[in-house]
Amino acid sequence: MMLARVADSLYWIGRYVERAEHVARLADVMLTATLDRAETAAQVARIALSAVGDATPEKIATPFESARALALDRLDGSSVVSSLALARENARQVRDQITSETWERLNLVHLRLSGATAAKSFNDGSSAFLHDIIADLHLFKGAADATMSHGEGWRFLLLGAHLERAQLIGRLLEVCFGRGGERLDHPTLTAVLRMGCALEPYLRVYTADVRARPILEFLLLNPEFPRSIRFSTDEIEAHLSVLARHTEAVHVGPGRLAGRLKARLQYADMAEIERDGSHVFLEGVLAECGAIHSGVYDAFVAYPLEMRLPA
Amino acid sequence: MEWGVATAQRSDEIDRAKAQAAAETAAKAGAKPPYDEMHAPDGSVRPHFAVMARRLADLGPGELDERQRTLERFFLLQGITFTVYGAESSTERIIPTDLLPRIIPADEWARIETGLVQRLQALNLFLADIYGERMILKDGVVPRELVLGAPSYRREMQGLYVPHQAYANVCGSDLIRQEDGEYAVLEDNLRVPSGVSYMLANREASKRTFPGTFRLAGVRQIDRYPDLLLSTLRSMAEWRPNPQVVVLTPGVYNSAYYEHAYLARLMGAPLVEGRDLVVHDNMVYMRTTSGLRRIDVIYRRVDDDFIDPLTFRRDSSLGVPGLFNAYRAGTVVMCNAPGTGVADDKAVYAYVPEIIRYYLGEEPILPNIETFLCREPAQLSHVLANLDKLVVKAVGASGGYGMLIGPHASAAQREEFAQAIKADPENYIAQPTIQLSTAPCLIDGEVDARHVDLRPFILSGEKITVTPGALTRVALRKGSLVVNSSQGGGSKDTWVLAGPGDDLS
Repeated sequence: MMLARVADSLYWIGRYVERAEHVARLADVMLTATLDRAETAAQVARIALSAVGDATPEKIATPFESARALALDRLDGSSVVSSLALARENARQVRDQITSETWERLNLVHLRLSGATAAKSFNDGSSAFLHDIIADLHLFKGAADATMSHGEGWRFLLLGAHLERAQLIGRLLEVCFGRGGERLDHPTLTAVLRMGCALEPYLRVYTADVRARPILEFLLLNPEFPRSIRFSTDEIEAHLSVLARHTEAVHVGPGRLAGRLKARLQYADMAEIERDGSHVFLEGVLAECGAIHSGVYDAFVAYPLEMRLPA
Repeated sequence: MEWGVATAQRSDEIDRAKAQAAAETAAKAGAKPPYDEMHAPDGSVRPHFAVMARRLADLGPGELDERQRTLERFFLLQGITFTVYGAESSTERIIPTDLLPRIIPADEWARIETGLVQRLQALNLFLADIYGERMILKDGVVPRELVLGAPSYRREMQGLYVPHQAYANVCGSDLIRQEDGEYAVLEDNLRVPSGVSYMLANREASKRTFPGTFRLAGVRQIDRYPDLLLSTLRSMAEWRPNPQVVVLTPGVYNSAYYEHAYLARLMGAPLVEGRDLVVHDNMVYMRTTSGLRRIDVIYRRVDDDFIDPLTFRRDSSLGVPGLFNAYRAGTVVMCNAPGTGVADDKAVYAYVPEIIRYYLGEEPILPNIETFLCREPAQLSHVLANLDKLVVKAVGASGGYGMLIGPHASAAQREEFAQAIKADPENYIAQPTIQLSTAPCLIDGEVDARHVDLRPFILSGEKITVTPGALTRVALRKGSLVVNSSQGGGSKDTWVLAGPGDDLS
């Protein structure tokens, strides 16, 4: 049992932290690619910026400024600094529900990013700066895992994180392999794996055979890699089925949707996906994720009172 | 090594010289010098400060500064901050905190404690009476119109049953030390007193800063406060087997939000906002992920006016519609009870000694500050004739606003106040200017004396308990007597030393 508002905040902390980490990683990969050939750099910048829905020719042409904006632009709602400010604001609202260890990690990275010296640190060493942010966010997740009770609140936090992660990776895959996707050269494909934090785990499975089809398969269907969509949907389903124990309404709502999505990915077949077009499958997955999000709200947060009043 | 003897002597001499210089300056100005918490008038260190003095002598100014910065980082990391909203971005500031603790010996504390218990007992009886039989008004001990005419008097509370007659479950009284070293009560805070989280956070910080000294001094513990608060709140709903307690906050933008979250976390009680609560059939529920759940005790940190838009201010969206009716129906308890503010009204304050005598038949242990009520014509003329010596306060205002400190004000300011007093004498009281006592503080890397007051916290439910510690508020500007955090005040930890009979834990 926890306050609906608190569950809502924890869910959003999970989402915002995941988003901040992903955007920081996209910015980092984009900057690293500027060291490559010009065509590769442009292709990587296009993918990274399209994945956050912000690809204009000017932005693609100025990767350093674009990366800085992704990290530090307060006016951009999806920048790292904005996401973390929102995560931290939500954490402040549920300060009584998260452990001090968890709060400190989030507060610290927020203070560092919104402080007066952030822009200078970025200019002095952008890659190290972004790397440190990602490392700090891993510390946050580690602190949450190691110090928070693995009860309802923690599950809402992870539910948010995995739903966000599934959507972010889904969008990245859509940009790379969806409708109208161009042929990607080898360094770009490597960069895509980096954007999914998947390079090393991928190489272990497929060796250094970097091609589009296995990358799609890995990021979509691998059961063990924590950033594959299948992995995230497994987690979403697992958390929702525990959360649902206290609420009958969930079985027919988000719980059912999550179970169906999990099964879809569990029993998916690459050949079938390719035959129908991978964009169709990806669009379906993203739509289901959106439906689960609304379902969570209807079941746990914004339910109609008339249904729950005591007789 | 905790201290070095050679440096101690040298530093002692400097302190002694400073104290004497301060005394001389004060003497020249024709005023009594303030009582200093650390140094006796002859400049020697008072015995209960001896351990601290030796430690201070051992630390270089650089080290103190470093420790001050460590403490500020600790506060920032913990989020013990308030937000300053600017045009483009908002910044977070920590509440100014001084790292040198103020120390209170056991015998002084014993007197404070019994005095506070006595006072709160009487005030609770007074509240029960004025919302009940009104005997004290019928007997003419307190003027009827003073109580019934006060804006903080809530007719809605008339004849309502309050368990244990405990109206003010959490009370924070402001004490000051007069020039002769006697403690006196400056003000009672019976509405929604705040500051207890700073008392606890300051303690965490001073333990880190002076671990050895803390151990040597024998300081009484205050960490049981959240625990005691919870059992006090639970004692207000004894008829329920396992009462559900919640903390009601106005929300994250309230300046005391940190404290609300802090107490909720340490009590393990949900921190709710008005929008989390629903009243149905005079029962109060909170919206949880698994439906509605009934609640029994609300530790509310929302002012009376904003509790319930159906009963009090209609334009308030912070409260819960129907909450007051549920309270009247007795299905839920609010702590503190609404309407307690009438007993900490600045005009009623003047009658508290009489109130204590009336209900308890005892002499007040802690005296009041002499108070002139401008509503009484004789006292009004005295106030107007002595504006340059008095502190004038508006009855309805708090937080250091609406106040004139006569000796520090210009003639024009005094004239302005004189007009305001004549126009509405009932709204003003006056008190002599008291030199608050001074305590050593770290100011720009140097130890210097600043004026302080003392806010202990008293809990009352089934029984009354005083936590052996307090928030010491500091006027950080040199010579200033205003300690409110809204007016450039800070705070510091307060060490209450254990006496022979006191348990340290």
